[in-house]
Amino acid sequence: METREYKFADIIADPPVRERWEKVRRYFFLRESTYDMTNRCNIRCEGCYYFNGDKQFAVENRDPAAWKQLLAAEKERGITFVVLAGAEPSLVPELCRICYETIDLGAIATNGIKAIPADIGYKIHISAWGNDQTSLEIRKAKDMLVHQMANYRDDPRAVFVYTFTPVNIDQARQVTRLLADNGHKITFNMFSSPVGYTGPLRHTAETLGHTRDTMSQLLQEYPETVIYSHYNIVAHTHAKGLHDVYGCSYPRMNPSTDIGLGRSFRQYRTDLQWDRDASCCVPDTDCADCRHYAAGSAVVTARMYRHASDPEHFKAWLDYVDTYLAVWVMGYEKGNNLCDYAVKPPEDDL
Amino acid sequence: MENDITKTTLRIAEIIINELKLEDVTPETFEPDLDLVDEVGIDSMDLATIALVIRDEYGIRIDEDDYPKLTTVRIIARYITDKLSSKE
Repeated sequence: METREYKFADIIADPPVRERWEKVRRYFFLRESTYDMTNRCNIRCEGCYYFNGDKQFAVENRDPAAWKQLLAAEKERGITFVVLAGAEPSLVPELCRICYETIDLGAIATNGIKAIPADIGYKIHISAWGNDQTSLEIRKAKDMLVHQMANYRDDPRAVFVYTFTPVNIDQARQVTRLLADNGHKITFNMFSSPVGYTGPLRHTAETLGHTRDTMSQLLQEYPETVIYSHYNIVAHTHAKGLHDVYGCSYPRMNPSTDIGLGRSFRQYRTDLQWDRDASCCVPDTDCADCRHYAAGSAVVTARMYRHASDPEHFKAWLDYVDTYLAVWVMGYEKGNNLCDYAVKPPEDDL
Repeated sequence: MENDITKTTLRIAEIIINELKLEDVTPETFEPDLDLVDEVGIDSMDLATIALVIRDEYGIRIDEDDYPKLTTVRIIARYITDKLSSKE
C-alpha cells in the first residue's frame, strides 16, 4: 500500500492542531533533573522504587546551604524544571522551599500523608495504589485516600497519580469516582518492576489489556477529572516497555552527551551526588518493564519527529504532550484531546 | 557545490532564526560555525522542529540518531547537500 508523505507545514495548517502545537512548544525550554530529598519515608510500600538499589543507603544531606548551592548550580547549567522525589519530600519542607525559591518550576512526588506547605508552588503528585483497603495491605497505611484528599482539598497543585498494578485495576473506578466527587484530578501510572523484582505486582499481557480497557472507560466517563489521553493509554499499556517502543533518552540508556536528556539530566541522591550510569527518572526500574508515567513524559515527548509523519500520529503526540504538561507544570491547563481513539505508535510492529 | 553549501547555510540560518525567534541577527550575520547547543542554546526539541522544516523544504529525513552530529549551521548545510547529492 502506498503511504502518503505529509509535509509538517500541512499537518500544522489545521487550526486546532496549530493552536495546540503553538501552546505546547512554548514549553520546549523545560530542562529536567530529579532529586531524592530524604532516605526516610513515613510508610513502606511493596515494590517501592526508592528502597531498591544503592540510593537508599545514601546519607541524607539536610544542610540548607548545601541545597541552595546545588540548586543555584543546577540553574546555572540550564536546569529549568526540578522533580523532588524519593524517599518522601514532605518530610523536609524547608529543603523543598529552597528548591522552589531557586527554580520555580517543578513537581513533588509524595505519598500525601503529610501536607506540603502551600507556599511551595510546585505540582504535587500524590501517589494512590488502590482503594484504602489495598493501601492498608500494600502500604501499611490506614485511610490513605481520606488523609490525602483532606490535605490537598481545593489545592490547584495536586494531581493524584494512580499506579495500576495487577491487583488494583478494578479499584481504579472506585478511586476515580471518589476523587471526582471531591473535586480532585487524577492521572495514571503503571507499576514498573524494579530490577530483580519477581513479585505479584509485575504486569502480564492480560493485566495490561485489562488496565487499557479500564483507563479508556475512566477517561470517557470522567473527562473533567482524568488527565490523560488515548495515546497515553497506548504508550503505557503496550506489550513492550517504553524503551523498546520509543528508545529511552535518559542517560542510563542513552550514551550520548551531546544534546537533550543525555546531556543535561541528572538524578541526585539525597547525599547530593549523582551517577550518570544510574540516572533516569525512576532509578533501579527494570528498563524492559518500564511504563512509568514520568519516563513517558520525557521519552514519548522527545520523539516528536517520528510522530510528525501524518496528522493522526501528530495529534496523538500533541495529546500526549498536552497531558504531560498539565500533569507536571503549574498553571498549564489541559485542552480537549484532539484524537478520541487509539493510534498505534509510529513504526510499531505489534 | 560550494555555492550550494553557501546558499543552504544561509537558508538554515534563516530557519533557525525564524523557529527560535532569535533577535538582532540575520542569516548573513549568523556565524555558521557557532555551536548550536553550547553557544545558541538549542535543545533536542528545537532541533526536531528545525529538522521538520528541513524535511519539508528539502525532502530529506534527518535520522534522530544524527541529531548529535548536527552541531553547527555549516554542518547541517553540509549534511543536507550530501543527502541531496546521494539522492541524485
